[in-house]
Amino acid sequence: MTSGYEILQDLAGGIFVGFAYALLSAGFSLTWGVTRVINLAHSAFALVGSYITLTLLKTAGIDPLISILFILPVLFLLGIATHQFIVKPTAKRAREITGPSMVLTFGLFMIVENLLAIIFKDDDRVLTSQYSNISFHLGPVSVALTSVISLILAIISLAILYFFLNGTYTGKAVRAVWQDRQGAMLSGINVEKVTSITYGVSFATAGIAGLCLIFMYSVTPYIGFSWLVFVFLISILGGLGSIIGAAVGGMIVGLIVSAGSAFIPLAYINLVLFVLLIIVLLVRPSGLFRR
Amino acid sequence: MTVQRNNNWLRWAVPLAVILLLALLPAASPDIFYLSIGVILFMYVALASSWNIIGGYSGYISFGHGAFFGIGAYVVAVLLIKFGYSPFLTCFLGGILSALFALIVGYPVLRLKGPYFSIATLCLGLAVPVLVNNLPEAVTGGGQGLFMPLMKIDIFLSRTIYYEVMLVLAVGTTLLARWILNSKFGLGLNAIRENENTAETIGVNSTVLKLQAFVFSAFLVGVIGGIYAYYRTYVDTATVFDPNLSIAIVMMAIFGGSTTWQGPVIGAIILTLIDQVLISAFPGAPAEISRLIYGLILVLVIMFMPSGIMHFLLNKFKHSSPPETANEVS
Repeated sequence: MTSGYEILQDLAGGIFVGFAYALLSAGFSLTWGVTRVINLAHSAFALVGSYITLTLLKTAGIDPLISILFILPVLFLLGIATHQFIVKPTAKRAREITGPSMVLTFGLFMIVENLLAIIFKDDDRVLTSQYSNISFHLGPVSVALTSVISLILAIISLAILYFFLNGTYTGKAVRAVWQDRQGAMLSGINVEKVTSITYGVSFATAGIAGLCLIFMYSVTPYIGFSWLVFVFLISILGGLGSIIGAAVGGMIVGLIVSAGSAFIPLAYINLVLFVLLIIVLLVRPSGLFRR
Repeated sequence: MTVQRNNNWLRWAVPLAVILLLALLPAASPDIFYLSIGVILFMYVALASSWNIIGGYSGYISFGHGAFFGIGAYVVAVLLIKFGYSPFLTCFLGGILSALFALIVGYPVLRLKGPYFSIATLCLGLAVPVLVNNLPEAVTGGGQGLFMPLMKIDIFLSRTIYYEVMLVLAVGTTLLARWILNSKFGLGLNAIRENENTAETIGVNSTVLKLQAFVFSAFLVGVIGGIYAYYRTYVDTATVFDPNLSIAIVMMAIFGGSTTWQGPVIGAIILTLIDQVLISAFPGAPAEISRLIYGLILVLVIMFMPSGIMHFLLNKFKHSSPPETANEVS
């Protein structure tokens, strides 16, 4: 029997997971909006973040939180490289980028996924750090320290992203390019540079999301695809490009997944999410939170 | 002028000769391995061509065609096991059920545009196997799946039958796709792809046209799924509703050039052969390496030919066709 405590416990779990997915989705919808590229490789790059943390901890004993200092620059550069060497040349030759971009980034997804599989082998990895195995009680709910760290990390990252897009000149330029590429160009924005930065920021947030997720879950090199499905759902539920929308969408999906598992068989959750997605798309095609 | 006439003649004779040669291949009693590759190759040609009717012509990129494939497969398996009906007949019933399902989900989902449609169909492809798994176990065999009786004939002969049937399906769907592309129906779909609003203002009933294309495409995929189920003699949700199948079909069609009828054929042939060659080229090596190379090929081809191989070739050899306009995005 499911007791009230267990439901509360599940709800708390849903919020922790939801925010990590929300952070992952925010970056995904950023590149989608700015370049019309559906980046199927997004979750694979999040895994790169997870594996950087794992490797640094295992080989050099570096604290998972310190590994942010490595994840950020590495993924930022990977993002810029992806834009400069893969996305930009393709877009220059393409009539329309959205369709080809899915094949392109799926190829990229396969490359990253299999490189990870070759380097790290196909087995479950768990992050065992000084933060593991500590939990405390919030009222009736028992909370793991790692989940709390992950939550705080995700919220801080989302807040920084929000501030970047709304408060800084570069961030405003990103939004301008999103809304009207030519208009942005005419107002003297260096569109190419801004797009590159968008990719860098998007990949960097993916890396941090990977860190958040590795705090809570074990990973294999092949887990990217299942993350991707959540990313899709959240980006659409919350509305493309809305940071607040991503946070709320992430929370809704997280709550459904974790609370749902208390009431219905796990297998049905995909079905519930799908029906929810269709309803939202039909009622509010631009998501719950319009930009 | 004579050159042109020659070309027209060659255009028919060469594919016909190739198809005849392929059809006669089993007479040379090759290794069964080659027949199996043939079955898979023809299946992907047929699937990619069927997918292209909605995905390529109208630009509604569906990532959920695995659902229709699996429904066809299950219908054939259940009817064979429960009633003993021949799969070569019931595959059409499988197609009809897939088409019905496509009609029901297509009506709401086709209202979504662009990537939203793609993502909704992707989720559809993930949700249907869950539904099937939770149907009464007496019907679908639950998690264990369904085992079908083998054909009571020599294995070489049975492989030959599948080989020929898949060849017929591949040629049939390709011809259908070619005919559709040049029909009024196909022109309407193309208009929808180029600009749906403009298409509607010039009298294209986009809602009906899209739905027809989606349903017809689902029918063909359902039929192919039915034959594949009998070929495998075993169905379970993991194999016939494999999301990788849905993705592979899309990759093949776009890789080859989804605005043409030849594109999906070329894409399916190249990618299936690459897959098979990579597996046999590195027999000892881990599968990761061949998949890595496969991904690399996808990236490189799309980088240099974003509209697919066929489009690239057409632009190169036909100077009359307009050059691709540069995209202002990034």
